[in-house]
Amino acid sequence: MTPPDASSRPRVLKRRWRWGVWPLLCIGISLLVATPTLAVLASVLQGADEQWAHLAATRLPRYLSNTAILAVSVCAIATAIGTAAAWLITTCQFPGRRVLRWALLLPLAVPGYLAAYAYTDLLQVSGPVQRWLRESLGLGSGDYWFPEVRSLPGAIVILSMTLYPYVYLAARSAFLDHGSYVMEVGRTLGRGPWRSFAALAIPMARPAIAAGGALVLMETLADFGAVEYCAVDTFATGVYHTWRSLESPTTAAQLSALLLSFVAVVVGIEALARWRARFHRLAGPPRPVRRARLGPVASAGALALCGLPVLIGFVGPAAIFTRMALIRGDARAREVAIQFGSNTLIVAAVASLIAVTLALLIAFGRRRSPDPITRAASRLAASGYALPGTVLAVGLLAPLSWLDHQLNDLTLALFDWRPGLILTGSAAAIIIGYQTRFLGVALAMIQAGFKQIGPSMDDAARSLGTSGPGLLCRVHLPLLRPSLLAAALLVFVDVAKELPATLMLRPFNFDTLAVRVYQLANDERLAEASFGALMIIGVALLPVIILSIMIDRGQAKHPTAPPPGNPLA
Amino acid sequence: MTRPDTAQHDPPTPIGDAAATDPPGAVLHADTVSFRYGRGPTVVDRLSLTVCRGEVHALLGASGSGKSTLLRLLAGLERPDAGRIVIQGRTVAEGRHALPPERRPVGVVFQDYALFPHLSVERNVCFGMSHRSRRERFAAARELLHRVGLEDKAKAMPHTLSGGQQQRVALARALARNPAVMLLDEPFSGLDAELRGRVRETTLQVLRDAGVAVLMVTHDPAEAHAAADRVSVMRAGRIETSAMPDEG
Repeated sequence: MTPPDASSRPRVLKRRWRWGVWPLLCIGISLLVATPTLAVLASVLQGADEQWAHLAATRLPRYLSNTAILAVSVCAIATAIGTAAAWLITTCQFPGRRVLRWALLLPLAVPGYLAAYAYTDLLQVSGPVQRWLRESLGLGSGDYWFPEVRSLPGAIVILSMTLYPYVYLAARSAFLDHGSYVMEVGRTLGRGPWRSFAALAIPMARPAIAAGGALVLMETLADFGAVEYCAVDTFATGVYHTWRSLESPTTAAQLSALLLSFVAVVVGIEALARWRARFHRLAGPPRPVRRARLGPVASAGALALCGLPVLIGFVGPAAIFTRMALIRGDARAREVAIQFGSNTLIVAAVASLIAVTLALLIAFGRRRSPDPITRAASRLAASGYALPGTVLAVGLLAPLSWLDHQLNDLTLALFDWRPGLILTGSAAAIIIGYQTRFLGVALAMIQAGFKQIGPSMDDAARSLGTSGPGLLCRVHLPLLRPSLLAAALLVFVDVAKELPATLMLRPFNFDTLAVRVYQLANDERLAEASFGALMIIGVALLPVIILSIMIDRGQAKHPTAPPPGNPLA
Repeated sequence: MTRPDTAQHDPPTPIGDAAATDPPGAVLHADTVSFRYGRGPTVVDRLSLTVCRGEVHALLGASGSGKSTLLRLLAGLERPDAGRIVIQGRTVAEGRHALPPERRPVGVVFQDYALFPHLSVERNVCFGMSHRSRRERFAAARELLHRVGLEDKAKAMPHTLSGGQQQRVALARALARNPAVMLLDEPFSGLDAELRGRVRETTLQVLRDAGVAVLMVTHDPAEAHAAADRVSVMRAGRIETSAMPDEG
């Protein structure tokens, strides 16, 4: 009798078999969601045609300069605001700090295009502000100068004020990690507060700030709605117009490839910054944060610095749309809300369900076989997050329509019947597109969840005879429930806000709220869209509120103590 | 450069004849110092303590007895509510007036060493010598690293060092300013038992050679008695007993 052999042999065989399935699944899903990227890159091989030459001679220089000015300015302003606000909030005590601590995140709920619509409506020649100015000063419409929202500077301000929270979040966690403590250490070594701030606090937080800034850059390069409405020609809008008005998929794809190369640089910067950030942490447990109490003048300054971005990035747009919905909203508002709201609900729910399932499979596969190939595959799957929506659409349409035609040819040959455009003619295309764009979001949440489950759990389950799908269903899934919910919520909200990819991939007569609001705004019928805009902001607020609560609770662990030296005290 | 903290740390009252009132040979003298955080309970309660020249003084107490807060007061990281602190004959805190930490002749080795992770070992040691020229700084850092036996690690980054090595870098960094008093906050607690005794001996030897008075906070009575010339036991914000280890 050989019981040990009998029990060990099948186990070894089973493990080998599984080793093959999970990585293959990972690689398969990753390649599928990476198809748009590969298609865009492949377009470069087709060589330049006449259209490209025309584009290069006419619009390309403008795309380049506008995109560069926009990206650099937005990144600089957002980084300055986010870092300063994070420093004030983590290391200073001033009236309003407790509210601003979470309120500074609120602009995350306002997509750039909505802010652009709101401020254009408020500040245009026929808007309430200029009308009031003219009436109270007795001026004519051409008698004075007024800043133009629909311009490059306008787009810069709008994007900075809605994107700075990425830097704020990153800088804040870095400062919480070491901010006030490192200042104390610096001061026992003979450096005054300002010099400690410059020599220690900022350099140590630099990788975190850079990572946040890279996210801002990514979002700026990807933005379509705000810059399009502000009439600024960037690469993202260029891709859209080339695709739409020139009817030239190849040129659009080549333009996309160029944009993609910029994005790749930013992604590289971000990855490097994150990698470096690991070494910029002080060892040991988190220290209590000691905040400096500010005097009245400094308090007012801090309040203004932290309050203005919230006012401009969130309160302004939300108030403008609310006022519009209350005063100028009409009977169409409810119709818009129900019809397009339910469309949005359906695609967002389906897309988030699929994304969470795929992300779960990838994350589980990566946990089961943490070899370099599976790791690379999961990174590839997540990288779609950096893909601008217009690029994604251009990259996805070619392979999908090819697939549609193959399907039709096949059914025609077999059954003498054409099903029509199954993929590109239905909502399937957008849902597939969302997987590429948002799988990374779901994957990040679920991988974080998996990290919380120690490897001993897997070993224990396996020693009790459960592995593979059984391990996933009976052990991991129940433990992962909060992460899965969070992942589903984030994907849902991202889908609800998404504009350019939806605009380009949607079938006829199928509009989401974002698309409808975009169309109404372009038709100068913003009032009809105000209710839809509020719904988008409302949905997008959900994860922001959850994030704020998490931040609030995390903060509760740090006792308040009297101030050490503080550079801004 | 303006010092924004002058509102908090007002210049101390003139030194006057502080030395005359101090116990003879004292490098550091705390006189009926009291402190509490905000409106919380009193953490340090009318405490008096003297550390003499060349002395290794251990402050022994359970966690929560206020010994780490006392260290923060002496370093200047907190301002006492009442009482007086004199270092090298100079009043550094009296009542609510206090010199900021960067202007006190005090070195601190933190419990977790707090090495700056973005600076090399050498640059960590140079950090406190910004008043000197670059060449002087690096020469001094070399010399200090030689003293703690880490010359070959000058270019290394802190995260590549072992716990014992990090502790010695922190010591060299704090010594670079030639402090009159070195405050050690549980400096050996992060090391494993085998290493602890050895690191402690080296550390204290380096400090004795440098002629620096030492105030060392610990919760380990064996450590206090093995290492110190004098052991003060702290409880509930006050010094309960203070004696030579042999007498105790």
